Amino acid sequence: MKKSSISLALLLALSLTACVDDGEDGVQGVDGSDGTSGTDGVDGVSSFVTRTDVITSNANIAYAAYADSLISAQTMRDVLVTFISNPSEANFSNAKQAWLAAREPYGQTEVYRFREGPIDALLADGTIGEDGEGPEGRINAWPLGEAIIDYVAVVVDGNSGPESAANALSGNVIANTADYPTINAETIQNVFEFGEDERNVTLGYHAVEFLLWGQDLNEDLSGSGTRDSSGGQRPVTDYSVTVGTCTSGDVAVTDDICTRRGQYLLAAANVLIADLATVVEAWEPNAGVHYTAFVSGGDESLAKIMEGMGRLSYGELAGERINIALKTDSQEDEHSCFSDNTHRDIFLNAKGVQNSFNASYTRIDGEQIEGASIYDLLVVEGEHELANSLRASLEATMSAAAVIDTKAKTGTPFDVLIQEGINQPNVVAVIDALVDQTDYIEQAIVALGITANDLRQDTEEDIGS
Amino acid sequence: MYLKNTITKTIQKPFQPLKVVVAFAFLTACGGGGGSDAPPTAPVVVSPTPDPVPELDHSGLTPLEASVIDNAEYLSGGDATLFVTNEDAFSTRAEAITDDFTLDGNFTSGDHIFRTPHEGAGPLLNTSNCQGCHLNDGRGVLPKSINEPFTSMLVKIGDNSGAPDPIYGDQLQTFAEQSFSTSDFNSGWPSYNGSINGDVLVGEAYTYIEFEEISGSYPDGSSYSLRNPIYKTKNLSFGDFTADIRFSPRVAPQVFGVGLLEAIPEAYILALADDNDTDNDGISGRASMVTDAITNGSRLGRFAYKAQNPSVLQQVAGAYRGDIGITSSIFIEEPCTNAQVACITVAERESKVADQADISDLELAQVEFYNRVLGVPARRGFDSVNAQWDTDIAAGRQAFFETGCIGCHTPRHITEEAAGSVLGEISFSGLEENAAPIKMLSNQTIFPYTDLLLHDMGGSCEVTRETAGEQSCSSGEECMYVQRCEGLADGLTQGMASGTEWKTPALWGIGLVQTVNADATFLHDGRARTIEEAVLWHGGEAQNSLTAFKQLNSGQRSQVLAFIESL
Repeated sequence: MKKSSISLALLLALSLTACVDDGEDGVQGVDGSDGTSGTDGVDGVSSFVTRTDVITSNANIAYAAYADSLISAQTMRDVLVTFISNPSEANFSNAKQAWLAAREPYGQTEVYRFREGPIDALLADGTIGEDGEGPEGRINAWPLGEAIIDYVAVVVDGNSGPESAANALSGNVIANTADYPTINAETIQNVFEFGEDERNVTLGYHAVEFLLWGQDLNEDLSGSGTRDSSGGQRPVTDYSVTVGTCTSGDVAVTDDICTRRGQYLLAAANVLIADLATVVEAWEPNAGVHYTAFVSGGDESLAKIMEGMGRLSYGELAGERINIALKTDSQEDEHSCFSDNTHRDIFLNAKGVQNSFNASYTRIDGEQIEGASIYDLLVVEGEHELANSLRASLEATMSAAAVIDTKAKTGTPFDVLIQEGINQPNVVAVIDALVDQTDYIEQAIVALGITANDLRQDTEEDIGS
Repeated sequence: MYLKNTITKTIQKPFQPLKVVVAFAFLTACGGGGGSDAPPTAPVVVSPTPDPVPELDHSGLTPLEASVIDNAEYLSGGDATLFVTNEDAFSTRAEAITDDFTLDGNFTSGDHIFRTPHEGAGPLLNTSNCQGCHLNDGRGVLPKSINEPFTSMLVKIGDNSGAPDPIYGDQLQTFAEQSFSTSDFNSGWPSYNGSINGDVLVGEAYTYIEFEEISGSYPDGSSYSLRNPIYKTKNLSFGDFTADIRFSPRVAPQVFGVGLLEAIPEAYILALADDNDTDNDGISGRASMVTDAITNGSRLGRFAYKAQNPSVLQQVAGAYRGDIGITSSIFIEEPCTNAQVACITVAERESKVADQADISDLELAQVEFYNRVLGVPARRGFDSVNAQWDTDIAAGRQAFFETGCIGCHTPRHITEEAAGSVLGEISFSGLEENAAPIKMLSNQTIFPYTDLLLHDMGGSCEVTRETAGEQSCSSGEECMYVQRCEGLADGLTQGMASGTEWKTPALWGIGLVQTVNADATFLHDGRARTIEEAVLWHGGEAQNSLTAFKQLNSGQRSQVLAFIESL
C-alpha cells in the first residue's frame, strides 16, 4: 500500500513540523505540532492528525471519485458512439459493459450526498445553494420515467407511470415524432420532471441503462411472470441501421425510430457528462467553489462528512434502497432495475462510507489514495475503542454486501433475493449491518463533539428578541 | 352582485376597526373552563391605563396585537420551520429530521412510499400514489380541458342527508385499476353502463367543469372577475345515482404541517367554538366532532375540507382506501359497495384479499410519520438579521386583524406533546410498541391561521339532469347530472358539516402554493385563480370581513394580499 498520495495538507503539516512523531515505529513520541510538547503517539498511530487533515483528505478523495465518474462516463460515451454507428451484438455488449464500469466509481460518490455538497446543492450559476437544488436528480434519479422515453410493456412488475396521470405525455419521446421532431440534449432536458413530477425522470445513468437493457420483463416476458436471473432483454435490433430491420422490442417499426433511439442514448450520455463535469469542477482541489469552502470549514465540514455517512447508511441505503424494495417486493423499487445491477449499487454505496472512514479509495486506474482518516482522528482523540468498533462495523457491512454481490454474480440477482421465501436473510443482514454502523457513526459524532445542532447557526438565533 | 348574501342570521353589529379587541375579550369569556373568571367585558375602545391582568387567548397566551408583530411569527412551524422558498417548499424535511439518522430514514422511507404507486391499488381509484394528487406535496390541479379527467381532484357524493349513494358510495373514483397497472391510461376511464355486467370494470363516472365568469367591483370602482364552476357528471358506469344526489368536487390540498395541527390540544380548539354566536360577532364556529376509526371514541375532526378526520393516520388510511384503493388494517374493505359486483370481482384478483391489507402497518406508519413532520415554510418578508418586517406586510397584517379575518383564521396556537404513532415505533424490521413522542412537534408555538372549526360560508346548490345542450332530461347516456351553486356551498352534508359549512383551512405556506406547483389554484375546488379571488369568494360568516376588505383602498388591499402571500 503506497503512502505517496497521502493528503496534501498532511504532507504540508508534516514538513512544517519536522520533529513530529509519525507514530509508525510504534514508539511513543514526545514532540507535538509546535515542536515541543505534544500528545504522545500510541501504538503505531501518529499523534498528529488534525481535523482539517481529515477534511482535506475527504475532499481530495471526493474529487478523485467524481473525476473517475466523469472519466468513465466519457469512456462510455465513446463506446456508445461506436455501438450506434455499428450496432453489432459485440458492440452492444461493450456498451453495457461501459455503463456498468461507469457505475463503479459513481456508486462510491454517494457518500458525498446529504451534506450540502455540489451533487445536492450546486446551482446552475456555479454557486452552492440548498440540498435539493443540485444536479443529483438529473444524474441518478430513479425510478425512471421509462414510459415517457421509449416503448414499455403493457404490464410490468411494478409501475412505470408518472406520479400524476396529469403528467403523462402523449406517447413517448422516441416514438412521438410530431411533438418531438428532434431528439437532442435540449429535448430530453425539457421533459425532465415534466409537470414538476419527480417520476418523470428522463435523464441520467438510469435513462442510459433503460435504453441499453430495456425493461426487465422476467422469465416469460409477460412482465408479471417469475423473476429470472437476467435484466432487461432489449434486442440489438432496436438500434438497427439496416434498412427495414428496426424494432421496438418484438415489434417491427420504421427506421427512424432506431435512429431516434440512438440519438436519445447519446444525448442522455452527453447531458450526464455535462452534469458530472459541473460537480467535478466544484470539487477541484484548491480551485473548486465547494472544495475551497469545504476544506476551510472546520468542524462544520467534519460534521458534514459524518452526516453524509450516516444518512446514506441508514435512510437512503438501508431504508429506501434496500428495505423498501424488500418490504414491497417490487422490482420498480430496486435501484438499477433494468440491468439488474442493484447489488453493485448497494456494495458501492456501502464502500463509499467505508472509504470516507478510512480515507482510502482505489481509482479506476488502480492508483490507491490514502489520507488522514476518521479512524486516525478517533485514535488521536483517545477514542480507540470506538475507532475500532466503527471500523469493524463497516467491515461487517462490506462482508454482508459481498454476499449479495456474489449471489447476484452467480445467478441470483437482487430482485430475486428480495422475494419471499428466497434468500431474504442475505438482504436483511445488510440492513442490520448498516443499522449497526449508523449507531457507531452517531457515537463518533458525539465523541468528536460535532453534533450538527451545535454547528448550525440556527436561524432562530438571528431573530431579535 | 356575484354572490347572494345568504347569511341566515342578522348581523346587527356594524363593522368596527377595533373588533379584534372585542373578539378576544369574548373569546376569553367563553373559554369558560380555562380558569379565567373575568366576566364578559364590554367592548372597550381605548383603555387609558393598562389592564393589570392581561387578557389571555384560547391558548392561555397574551393575545396578539394587530399593530405589533411578534417576531416569533417568522417561524410559522416552530421547530418544524424550514427555510426553503422554491418548488420543494412543501416537501422538505426540517433540520430536526436531518439531524437524526433514524428520523431521517423514516422520512425517506415515508417519502418513497408517498410518491410510489403501490401494489394492490384499485379496483376503483382516483390515482395510484399520494403524490399523484398532492403534486410536489402541494395542491392538485384542475383539468386543463373538459376532455381531461380529474387526476388530482375528486368528487365526494351523498344524498340530501349526506348518506352515501347506495351504488357509488361516498366518492366517485374516476378510474379502474387498469388505467394505472397497464401502460394504457385510457383503458380504465368511465363509460356509460360500462361496469354493470359484473365482469368488466371501468371508472365510476366522469366529471368535468365548465366555468361562468362573474364580474364584480370594489366600492372604489376597480373591477374583478371570478369564475364560478358548473360541475357536469356523465358516463356513469353503474347506472343512475340515487335521487337528491349532491356533488362536492375537491382539489387535493397541500399536506405539510398536519402533525402540528394534530398536536394542538383539543380543549384549546373547543374554547374557540361559538356554536350560537353568543358573542354576536356574526361568526359562529362549530367543532366537528367525529368518530375515531381506531378507538371508536368521539374526537375533534381536524383534517379534510369538512374536518371529517381526527388524526393524520386516519386521514392517510382513508385516502389510501378511498382515493387509491389500498386497504389497510384501519380500513380493510376495498372501495367497492355491495352493489358493485364488477368491483368486487376485480378486487378478488388482487394479491392481497379479504382481511389481508394491501399496505402494511409499517408502511402506513412511515407515510403517517412523513406527513406529520413535513416542515412548514418560514414567513417571507422578515429580515431575520435586523429583525425587521416588510412595512407593507406589517400594514397588511394589521388590516387582516382589523377586518376580522382572524375571527376564523386564528393566527396562533400552541401544541402539546405530540404522541408517537398509535401503530408503533418504526424500525426496519417492523413496528415496536410504545412509540416515542415526536419532539419537533411538541410544545411548539405555531402560526397556522386557522381555528379548525366549521363555518357557514353561505351559498346554495342545485342539481339538475341535463344534456350537453342544457336540455332537461331524465335518463339515458346523454343525460348528465349538473350541479350549479352560488357562493362557496357544495350542498353536501358530511358528518356535522352542512352543505354550506367548511373547516377553516390553514393559511400557512399559501404564498408558495404556486411556487410549488405553478398550475395550482385556491379554495376547495380550485376555482380561485389567485389569493385575491379566494378572498372575494368568502361569504356567510365571513361576509362582514369581506365587506370590510372591499372597502379598503387598493393600496390597503394590496397590503392585505401581500401579508397573506407572506404566510
